[in-house]
Amino acid sequence: MDLNPVELPGTSELFIDSLFRPPRPSVCMTEYFEVHERDGAARVGELRLESPVTTPALVDDILADAGSLWAGNREVPAGDDSQLTVLPHRAFPGGTAAEVQESFGVDYPDVDYPSVAVVSSESVDDQGTDAYAVSDVQSITGHGAALVEAIVNVRETVPTDTAVYFSGVATPRNVAVLAYAGVDLFDETAAVVKGTEGRYLTTDEAYFLEDLEELPCSCRACEKPREEFTREDCAEHNRNALEAELGIVRRRIRDGRLRDYVEGQARQDQWLTAAMRELDAQWGYLEERTPILRDAQIDAATEDTLRRVEIQRFADRVTTRYRNRFKNPLVLVPCSATKPYSESQSHRQFHDAIQWRAHTVSMTSPIGVVPQELETTYPAQHYDTVVTGRWSEDEKEFVAAVLRRYLERNDYPHIVAHVPDEGYRDIVGRVEDALDLEITYTVPEGGHPTDEESLAKLSDALSGELKYSKREREHNTVRAIADYVLGDGAGDDLFPDIQTTSRYPKIQVRDQADTQLATMVPNYGTLSFTLEGAKRWLESDAPTKRVEIDGFVPHGSVLAPGVVDADEDIRVGDEVVVEGPKAFGVGRAEMFGREMVEGTRGIACEIRHVEEK
Amino acid sequence: MSKPTPEVYEQGKGMDAHNKVMRDIRSRKEASYDPHEPTRVWLDEDNTPDGVKRSLTIILNTGGCRWARAGGCTMCGYVAESVDGGSVSHDALMDQIEVCLAHEADTADEPADLIKIYTSGSFLDEREVGAKSRRAIAETFADRERMVVESLPDFVDREKIRDFTQYGVDTDVAIGLETATDRVRHDCVNKYFDFADFEDACAEAAAADEAAGDAADAGIKAYLLMKPPFLTESDAIEDMISSIERCADVSGCHTVSMNPCNVQRYTMVDDLYFQDGYRPPWLWSVAHILEETAAVDAIVVSDPVGHGSDRGPHNCGECDDLVQKAIKDFDLRQDPSVFEQVSCECELTWETVRERERSFNQPLTR
Repeated sequence: MDLNPVELPGTSELFIDSLFRPPRPSVCMTEYFEVHERDGAARVGELRLESPVTTPALVDDILADAGSLWAGNREVPAGDDSQLTVLPHRAFPGGTAAEVQESFGVDYPDVDYPSVAVVSSESVDDQGTDAYAVSDVQSITGHGAALVEAIVNVRETVPTDTAVYFSGVATPRNVAVLAYAGVDLFDETAAVVKGTEGRYLTTDEAYFLEDLEELPCSCRACEKPREEFTREDCAEHNRNALEAELGIVRRRIRDGRLRDYVEGQARQDQWLTAAMRELDAQWGYLEERTPILRDAQIDAATEDTLRRVEIQRFADRVTTRYRNRFKNPLVLVPCSATKPYSESQSHRQFHDAIQWRAHTVSMTSPIGVVPQELETTYPAQHYDTVVTGRWSEDEKEFVAAVLRRYLERNDYPHIVAHVPDEGYRDIVGRVEDALDLEITYTVPEGGHPTDEESLAKLSDALSGELKYSKREREHNTVRAIADYVLGDGAGDDLFPDIQTTSRYPKIQVRDQADTQLATMVPNYGTLSFTLEGAKRWLESDAPTKRVEIDGFVPHGSVLAPGVVDADEDIRVGDEVVVEGPKAFGVGRAEMFGREMVEGTRGIACEIRHVEEK
Repeated sequence: MSKPTPEVYEQGKGMDAHNKVMRDIRSRKEASYDPHEPTRVWLDEDNTPDGVKRSLTIILNTGGCRWARAGGCTMCGYVAESVDGGSVSHDALMDQIEVCLAHEADTADEPADLIKIYTSGSFLDEREVGAKSRRAIAETFADRERMVVESLPDFVDREKIRDFTQYGVDTDVAIGLETATDRVRHDCVNKYFDFADFEDACAEAAAADEAAGDAADAGIKAYLLMKPPFLTESDAIEDMISSIERCADVSGCHTVSMNPCNVQRYTMVDDLYFQDGYRPPWLWSVAHILEETAAVDAIVVSDPVGHGSDRGPHNCGECDDLVQKAIKDFDLRQDPSVFEQVSCECELTWETVRERERSFNQPLTR
């Protein structure tokens, strides 16, 4: 199968614009699987069978296996849409040499019913099926690095709107991490087999049944008296426990909170924690699939939170895209539990002392530093951390690194650190030494930033400084958000000459003729554009995120099949310009860019404004 | 898109790949052996068409298997036990026989009735054991009741068998058929002949039997391999049951020895095993197959090597010795009721594995 696009004479100039990749040839239409919700690499999807199945799910009851070609010749079955048919396959277990995989590899036939191809994680191809069963599951489950290498290889090769199936490995303990890594389909096989071996599975352990004086569960199977509880019952319990855990996983994905759960659940087995951490090292894979904003909170309760895409992305954007535009001194302050910070009591007190005479940047673990303009931006107002006042070395190192990069990029006439001893002072001191800065500390040793004495010193440190205007503040805020959302310099490219109306944080951006260009979205600290704003965005030098559609006028939403091409940088939640021969519009991405192009089902983006051409 | 391609092997691609991989694997081992010593020799008891006999088994070092030098079978590590490169001289082979006779004299009270000679190749291949050596060895054992010599089917010839039967010694040729299913033999085992070749060899043995008249019997003993790589437990069971039935139906084949695969070093199976991609069969499966085929018109035996170990056929660790004992008992008595007396909790797991193991989730247990 040739995956290279056929270049027709006279069409190649269409592809010159580097923003647009040559479209993939549509060799396959996956009709029977659709992704509805995304949470990083995890998805809630739907197997569109006669009776639909919501994934991640167990597929025992709907699977029909046409059999292994190792054992005998097999007919391609008639199949139908009541079940998921595993096409005749040659599976390569772990340890199968590359030459053998190559020689015995099967090209699966095109069928018009829901089908599964069996692929090795080492030699996977797009086979045009709705799902892919991974043949070397037993070798990759139980090893963090091996699992991650395998799932990334499979998911990056098969189309985004197909399901990945791990057979014979799911347990109540591991299934959350497997789903988090990007597996959609499971079966009860491992849970049942372990039950027959007398292993009682829970989300935390694989207990020896004979060691349990009481059953730590109250599912139907466990209602029996302990002495009557057999290995068959144990298998039944294991199945129930697995189903229950999958229910939690689906709920967490819908809530955008699977990662928070996995940071806890992965602790139940070393290899699961290893898998989560190895996955964090797969930046490209996870970042592409992680939305740029969510309604959900981030629980910063473990060291691993620091390595979340959302946290790393914020730190990266603040130190590579954002630029301070104020001429005033910098005041570093500690974060507050109330978000956005400016609504907290402590920050109101800081503000009363600062009086718009300085640029306020909050220091926080695990986010790093938050300039005042970005305080509403996801996840700056969406995280909650465990407050003990004790900082771990990892936290200090992370925040110090972000602060250092921040100060290397942004110059201030004067830096004031209005921070308490614990952690904060240490971090500022490290950066002060590293960059050879001179920083004024306004909280006395042992003192608290909201002490009268501290606040007075803060005010004194800024004496003689001029206040910046509301206009300057608001202009800088929308420009900073543009930098953060769109790219380095975007704020200046997009909004060189604007006026702002309405009250912070719902600032409206208008041009000199009073035409509205964009509105600040206070929930996520992002911008939503008007059609005029979108046009200005396209004309500016700021990096655009464009979705090219077919010749129709979308209302409400654009479905994936209508997308001709899309920028690879688009992430879920991004503002996108939608353009086709008949329409021009602006909206918000519901898929990441590659998914919009590859996908044959589902909503690619929601349209906010559209006009016919 | 192309159709599924069942006949990969016939295109030669699969065999080339298997051979290349097996050559690479074997090259990891460096060792050579003294051509004047047999590879192994031991005394045992065997069930033959004439009842249970005391046996002397000889693994002759003949320079090894030609097929293995090309790559060879995916589960076989015996090639590594052969001498470097070339063939073994007549004198050296006769020295090996002397060592075996000395061993027998030292260990047993009287000479064994049954002599079994294996070579990790083909005893009847004259490039391996010349006609002169073959005839000399036949003469050496002319006073015994029965002989078994190992060969690939291509080399089975009524005249060669006559070298033994002429002394009135009942003679069996042991053929490593592995399975009656050509596809499995080709694609999973990487053995290059077809079931039809086995049938031809059986016809040669039947002809030799006819020619020997009442003085001696000649026949074929088929060796089957249970659970080559890539097959699930249930596929492997099905393959063995049908193979035993098909072998028993071939005239000239009077015994089937069905042997569970074990994990030998420097093999493709070992590479799979090391990466959690292979588990040797359950002893329950062996028992089940013997039970299911007890009524066929042939002696069916099994000699599980390395039973109870991770690298050999095994159950749960608790019942392995009991089931092994029942299998050995069946070998001698051919009575399936021996299996009624063994049971274990792990049968439930074994049944679950048979029901649920797929080639895309195997192995389900360790």
